[in-house]
Order: sequence, then C-alpha cells, then structure tokens
Amino acid sequence: MKWNMSRCLAPARSGGGGAVLGAGSAAGPGRECSEAPPSPARPRGPAQAQRSGGMAAAAAVPGPGPAEAAAPGEEAAAAGQQGPGPARLARLPLARVKALVKADPDVTLASQEAVFVLARATELFVETIAKDAYMYAQQGKRKTLQRKDLDNAIEAIDEFAFLEGTLD
Amino acid sequence: MAERPEDLNLPNAVITRIIKEALPDGVNISKEARSAISRAASVFVLYATSCANNFATKGKRKTLNAGDVLSAMEEMEFQRFVAPLKESLEVYRREQKGKKEARKDKDKKADSEEQDKSREEDNDDDDERMEEEEPNDEEEVDN
Repeated sequence: MKWNMSRCLAPARSGGGGAVLGAGSAAGPGRECSEAPPSPARPRGPAQAQRSGGMAAAAAVPGPGPAEAAAPGEEAAAAGQQGPGPARLARLPLARVKALVKADPDVTLASQEAVFVLARATELFVETIAKDAYMYAQQGKRKTLQRKDLDNAIEAIDEFAFLEGTLD
Repeated sequence: MAERPEDLNLPNAVITRIIKEALPDGVNISKEARSAISRAASVFVLYATSCANNFATKGKRKTLNAGDVLSAMEEMEFQRFVAPLKESLEVYRREQKGKKEARKDKDKKADSEEQDKSREEDNDDDDERMEEEEPNDEEEVDN
C-alpha cells in the first residue's frame, strides 16, 4: 500500500461525525487519528507534521497544535492533514464540473450526486498531486513547486499515468 | 472539435486554495505548476467521467450516478478516495434533504424573516450590538 490517505481520512468519522463545516471540530479529528499506519514506501514526515493543524487554521491556532501532533509520530500528523476534509462540501463549482462531464460525447446525463462526488474527487486529486509534486521540490531543496516537480511526479507514480502527454 | 475539453478549466482561485491548504505553510507554487495542476484536474474529471460512464453503460443506465463515480475511482486506482468520498456524499445527501425541508419551513416563516432582514440591514455595522440590544424583538418575531 503506497498511500495511507484513506486511513488518514477514515478515522475522522469518529471525531467529526455530523460536522459539515466543522471548523470548531477541525483540530479534534485531526489529532485523534492514530489509526493511520506509517507509510513505509513514502516518507511523508516533517512536511506533513506541519500541516496537521493547518486545516484548523480558521478555528484554532495551528502553532502549538502541530508541535504536539508531530511528537506522537508522523503517522498522526500525516493523517491529521485531512481532519475536516471528508465532511466538507465541494469547493469546486459544480456547474464547471458538470460542463466537463457534458464534454464527453458518450455521456447522456449525470446525476447531481455524481457531479458532486466528481468535484470532491477532483479536490482530493489536486491535494494528492500537489503533495507528491512537493516531495520532488523538497528533494531539490526548493520551497516553490515548479512544473518539473509535477512532471516528475506524473512519471514516477502509476496512478498519474493517465496524465502523461496531456499537460503540454 | 476546435476546443479541447481540457481547455475547460476549473477556477484558478479555488485550485490555488486547495493546493495551498494541502502544502505546508511557506511553500509557494509557480504559475506554470499551478496551471498544469489545473489542467490535470480537468483531465482527471474527463477520465473519471469516461470510466464512470462505462459502469453506467454496464448497468444499462443512461444517467451517471454517484456509485458509478466511486467505481471509477477504484478502477483508476484511487481507492483511497472512496471512503472519504462516501462520507462526503452522506453529508451532501443530508444537506439536500435539509434544504428541501428548510424550504417548506421557510415559506411559513417568510414574512417574519423579511422583517428580520430589514432590521439587520439597518444595523449592518452594529451586528453584535443589535443582538445584545434587541433580544426581545427577536424572540417575539420567532413566535
């Protein structure tokens, strides 16, 4: 298992049950997540540790938060990055997503729910690819994500194979 | 087709925000990288749609549903998305139900709500104070 993201996101259920935009509970689920296994194949340590409280920035001070979360281990931090994530509604405008769906000549209709799930999936995808590209930037000791980091990620990661040749 | 579907980009601001929240503080992103990710997101939607459509067709349906999209995620090797997507979907469904019920209630309360709104507009700067100074009024109106 290359990724531990699904494990990270699942435990949020325990803390943020019905919270939709639970800014108040944002910090909670993130730190409670101790089920996430360490990611053997992908070192996700320090970068993610800073992020554990990041999502809670609106509601809580992220300063002391990540410091505490980082101590118990990178697993918790890596998991915490998505505290309020799963319960959040889509940020991408559904109308634009729908326009893309309609661009496919084989598609007749898509339900509202389908468009919503696609929008959420795309957000998760953007987060995923950004983080992966960032790893390459870190390797190059840079703090700015560049196009080549993205290209490297696409080449290296199987799931991104469908992107090859499409971004030029 | 004169226009490639990938040209249908998703709003830059939202994409940028998602990227920034996913990355640690202090990390920047170049314009080229950002627009590449945006394009990648569009391609993702197109690819996922196509996969989902296959599942719909297999089920002899002409309308894509949420289940088709979830199946597509597994097919595309993004299984880790499935659990969080299911949760989001539950929340979304609850919201939709809530909206329908709220609409019915809103019709009943429409008049009283309009009175509230005009008061709020007058006291735009003093929102907090308004609540403190006129608690009685709000209680009466809710009746």
